[in-house]
Amino acid sequence: MAQQHGIIVLVDVANALRERTLDGNAYWFDNMRFLGSTGEGGANLVTIVPGTYYLDGSQATEQVLNWLPAALGAIPPTVPRNYHVEQARRADQEALANLAALGTAGTAPAGTAPAGATADVAGIQRLVGRRAARPKSSRSLASGRVLDVTGRVAGADAAAAYNPPAPVITDITGTAVDEKIIYPAQYGSPDMVYDGWYWAATVDTSRPGTYPYTMHFQLHELVERNDELVWEPVDLTAASSIHVIKDPKRNAFTGAGLGALPIPAAPPTP
Amino acid sequence: MPPRPKPERPRAARPVTITAVVDPVAVLASGDLDQNLYLYDTNRTAGSAGFGTPALKTRVRRGDTLLWNVIPLECETFVALDGIDIAGDVAEPERKVYPGTDIVFWTATVKRDLAEPVEYRLSFLVGTVDKPLVSVAAQALVGAAPEGRTR
Repeated sequence: MAQQHGIIVLVDVANALRERTLDGNAYWFDNMRFLGSTGEGGANLVTIVPGTYYLDGSQATEQVLNWLPAALGAIPPTVPRNYHVEQARRADQEALANLAALGTAGTAPAGTAPAGATADVAGIQRLVGRRAARPKSSRSLASGRVLDVTGRVAGADAAAAYNPPAPVITDITGTAVDEKIIYPAQYGSPDMVYDGWYWAATVDTSRPGTYPYTMHFQLHELVERNDELVWEPVDLTAASSIHVIKDPKRNAFTGAGLGALPIPAAPPTP
Repeated sequence: MPPRPKPERPRAARPVTITAVVDPVAVLASGDLDQNLYLYDTNRTAGSAGFGTPALKTRVRRGDTLLWNVIPLECETFVALDGIDIAGDVAEPERKVYPGTDIVFWTATVKRDLAEPVEYRLSFLVGTVDKPLVSVAAQALVGAAPEGRTR
């Protein structure tokens, strides 16, 4: 099987939430530009899917697509997702230590706060940050603790400074699915970079053509309701397409067919 | 009753984030950074331009906090922002890491309002190549639009 396609959708989450649309707020990429994908980095990506037949005329294996969403203006996906939990725990430990220090430092008479304690308590409150509730309908795996975009626990202004959680794909629909060109599904993965879940599809490469599909995303907006922070799910869609072509699969190193590695006598001209 | 004056909108507490999407495999295969560098920021509605190109123009105001980070198209391949070459009277970017990790981001405060666009250049470390790659195209910070044209 050929290399798997990776399709990345970068979403400007803050703008998408403000405008309640992904039009102009979603940027698409794949790693197949060298094979002929077009629209890299924009709203109109067409992902190339070559390989209907091998060079010898036999039916090729299917192609696999993987979709990976990311949030613009957020902690990048290279920082593992369990980082959020780790950071929250670290802040808790620090706060507890400070709290303990506060207790032993108390030399003031009973009933009055030792000098500086009020300021210290405020500092500890800042450190502890705020938690956000998650409604039942939410698909986000973001932790309850709110971080800011530099990875620190967000303080009192959490609702303004919060790190937007990565978009979550909830479904893939459209012509490509209806016509049974792609068979998308969500899979579990040991790779925590993407929360342990990802969407992938196999492509029927025997029917060349351009097939649009619609990606369903859930974004999460942090809102203050009844003095409580809540991750409010917002469902939006964006469209892209795949272009299945007849060109046979080739070995990218040799330019020749697949199978046993056919090393040419002379290096192929690029 | 006279209409109540609209409360001044507080300055967003979130920095203006400039994200470099890099296709590291294509950079290493072709030796061409610019063709495989896509820049974005979170200030599109304020008038930033050049999205998806290496020549991003980010609209900024004095006092804005800027944050640069990187998203590699292949998360298995190493890419990091190695430096930001910009006039010191405009901004002095500082290299930081997300606490508890070795993943780099840079941050700076815009020191003054800009009448003219100020160009700067990003350089990246890609894969195991020890020499940083510098974009040929310049990035720029652009001052606020004339009154009435923003938002």
